Amino acid sequence: MIFNEEQTMLQDTLRAFLTDNATVSDLRALRANPEGAAYNQTLWQQLIELGIPGIALSESEGGLGFGYMGLAAVMHEMGRNLVASPIVSSVALASSVIQLAGSDSQKAYWLPLLASGEVTATIAVQEGRQFALRSLATRFDKGELSGHKTLVMDALESDITVVIAVTADGRFMAAIIPSAELTASSDRYQLMDGRTFSDIELRGLYVPEESIIGADGSCHDAIAKALDIGTLAISAEMIGGAESLLERTVAHLNNREQFDVKLATFQALQHRCAELYCHLELARSAVLSAFTKLDRGQDIARAASQCKALANDCYVQMSNEAVQMHGGMGITDELDIGLYLKRSRVCNQLLGDSSYHRARYAEAASL
Amino acid sequence: MSDLDTFRQTTRAWLLENCPESQRQPIVKAEQIWGGRNRTFPSADAKAWFEAMAAKGWTAPTWPREYGGGGLSAEEAKILQQEMARLQCRPALYEIGIWMFGPALLGFGTEAQKQEHIPKIIRGEIRWAQGYSEPSAGSDLASLKTKAEDCGDHFLVNGTKIWTTNAHLADWIFCLVRTNPAAPKQQGISFLLIDMASEGVSISPIELISGESEFCQTFFDNVKVPKRNLVGELNKGWDVAKELLKHERTMMSSMESMTEKEDVSLDVLARTHLPLNSEGQIANAELRSRIAALSMEMEAFQQLNERLYYQHKARQVDPRLGMLLKHIGTKQLQRKDELLLEILGNRALSWETHRASSTEQRITRNWAFNKSHTIAGGTSEIQLNIIAKRALGMAS
Repeated sequence: MIFNEEQTMLQDTLRAFLTDNATVSDLRALRANPEGAAYNQTLWQQLIELGIPGIALSESEGGLGFGYMGLAAVMHEMGRNLVASPIVSSVALASSVIQLAGSDSQKAYWLPLLASGEVTATIAVQEGRQFALRSLATRFDKGELSGHKTLVMDALESDITVVIAVTADGRFMAAIIPSAELTASSDRYQLMDGRTFSDIELRGLYVPEESIIGADGSCHDAIAKALDIGTLAISAEMIGGAESLLERTVAHLNNREQFDVKLATFQALQHRCAELYCHLELARSAVLSAFTKLDRGQDIARAASQCKALANDCYVQMSNEAVQMHGGMGITDELDIGLYLKRSRVCNQLLGDSSYHRARYAEAASL
Repeated sequence: MSDLDTFRQTTRAWLLENCPESQRQPIVKAEQIWGGRNRTFPSADAKAWFEAMAAKGWTAPTWPREYGGGGLSAEEAKILQQEMARLQCRPALYEIGIWMFGPALLGFGTEAQKQEHIPKIIRGEIRWAQGYSEPSAGSDLASLKTKAEDCGDHFLVNGTKIWTTNAHLADWIFCLVRTNPAAPKQQGISFLLIDMASEGVSISPIELISGESEFCQTFFDNVKVPKRNLVGELNKGWDVAKELLKHERTMMSSMESMTEKEDVSLDVLARTHLPLNSEGQIANAELRSRIAALSMEMEAFQQLNERLYYQHKARQVDPRLGMLLKHIGTKQLQRKDELLLEILGNRALSWETHRASSTEQRITRNWAFNKSHTIAGGTSEIQLNIIAKRALGMAS
């Protein structure tokens, strides 16, 4: 429920590091070059040196052993500065699929490489207009993958892509594909938050035996759990972003004068900020609780949906209010507020919007 | 096995032995045990359960043993609470003295005051009421006018207090009174304990929108109060009041878990009262979604409380979080009441007993009464002021 001493230290270290090395203006540089890399390679190398790729993996798997709460701390800090990095795609999602669902030999081969940062992975899971786990349509049949994936992060930068598909029985399976094999069939684009994503067309792509995870459907639950870990990582990122927005907004209101007084002295604005803070801390508490469950080895399906729905709504509301309370400047591109606004909407669509997660939560709560 | 594990085991065994089966059912309002000179018990089982708990000091688990309290650490008290919840043991005693006044008296009272009042609170012998608000001093509490004049060996109290909960049943009342009319408003207030049996005290119940009359107006007409009943220093009563208010807000934020549960829990009620579809889900998808939305926020509120508990344990408390509890808890409770009403449909509209079941009646009355929660103990607007200024540091 709270960060321990090491996790707190990790958070402090990372905050200091990102303040010096990865401010929001770095995102502007990436945005200005849509043909360039999806994230800053130098920064990623520095994060590798800090051990971030192996943050949640145990020491026997080649990781740092900070636990999933360590991952929560990392994602929170990334979210504060809108850092573009392969942490969600590689560390939280692809590594989790291999770790939870992979065979012993797959784990022994891939996990140390992923933990050390020698290999970077991504995941191809999303399909269609809105994400819904139940309606995944990419098929794995007779050793071949067919389907259309969207919102694949870092497709070109990654070494391997973990593709999630369904078997003939409707169970989840995964395939580890060298990303280079997918380049020809992928379509790369920049989204409104300045980050680049890709769509990938799979037309009967053959998957060799050693790259298949759970062809018989036996890894269905493990894959679903890995996706929930990714959902939680994005939720933690969103909490960080929302926190930064509230700080920026309060600072602006404490600074800006109209009618000869600070804007912050107006009760109408005070109460709106106070309500936003309540929402933020409720969502944060849910996220911390879910990561704690994860570290304790408990089931997280319901918790993941609770967190994503709360984080989505919190970040959307926070960003809308932040724009409004920054007044005219809030709608300029010069201020960073708009970048947070756009990031919140992209995060919203990644691994499920609020409507989807409320329904999934209702299901889990037997409503 | 750790000491705490041992404590959990012995506590569980003790509860199983001492809590009668009938006291392990969800509590209903009529069967709550309140303190008081004239207290009554609804059954022999209820009496036995109360007396066992009071003898152990577990009506006030963390208070010092020397005054009859349980002397438990925060961790042990949490375990007691968890085990009681697990076995569905009813709270042994409902009492403002336990929730609010006692903790403040332990902090500010003299040794003689603690000796006189604390053991009686723990044993449920005295029922306390709170005398803060006045007809012209609500949110602006510090503008209160009830005055206490220094008459040598006693104070002479004149004025009126309003919203005094259950004053008609109370034995004693703790009051904020003006002792220095010349000083700036917060600095002329003292904290005084008054025996309700004193000559010159009269009470008039106020009928509420729920049909109940828990709240009263209490009048003081030349009431003599011995000087030894002053808590804290003269004209420093505001400090005591602030401390006490913290306990009140914590209590009010947890109203949802303190009042009767089970048959008014949102998910259970929704599933038993609403039509289900062929998949066994609440058929009205729109309502189902709103129930899910509130449920996950209520769960997050529990998680916020849990987070605070761990922060306390690690001595790393974020002081801002405590300021949020009252506002969030009471707002959620009212949203839940509204949903319950919606689920009951026109069955919730009955006001007379023979038309509605006891559950339906309770839901309707609670819905009306719980409107008080965002007003009493500092309105939500005051809470938001506090959050904005003290938690967020917004300029004032």
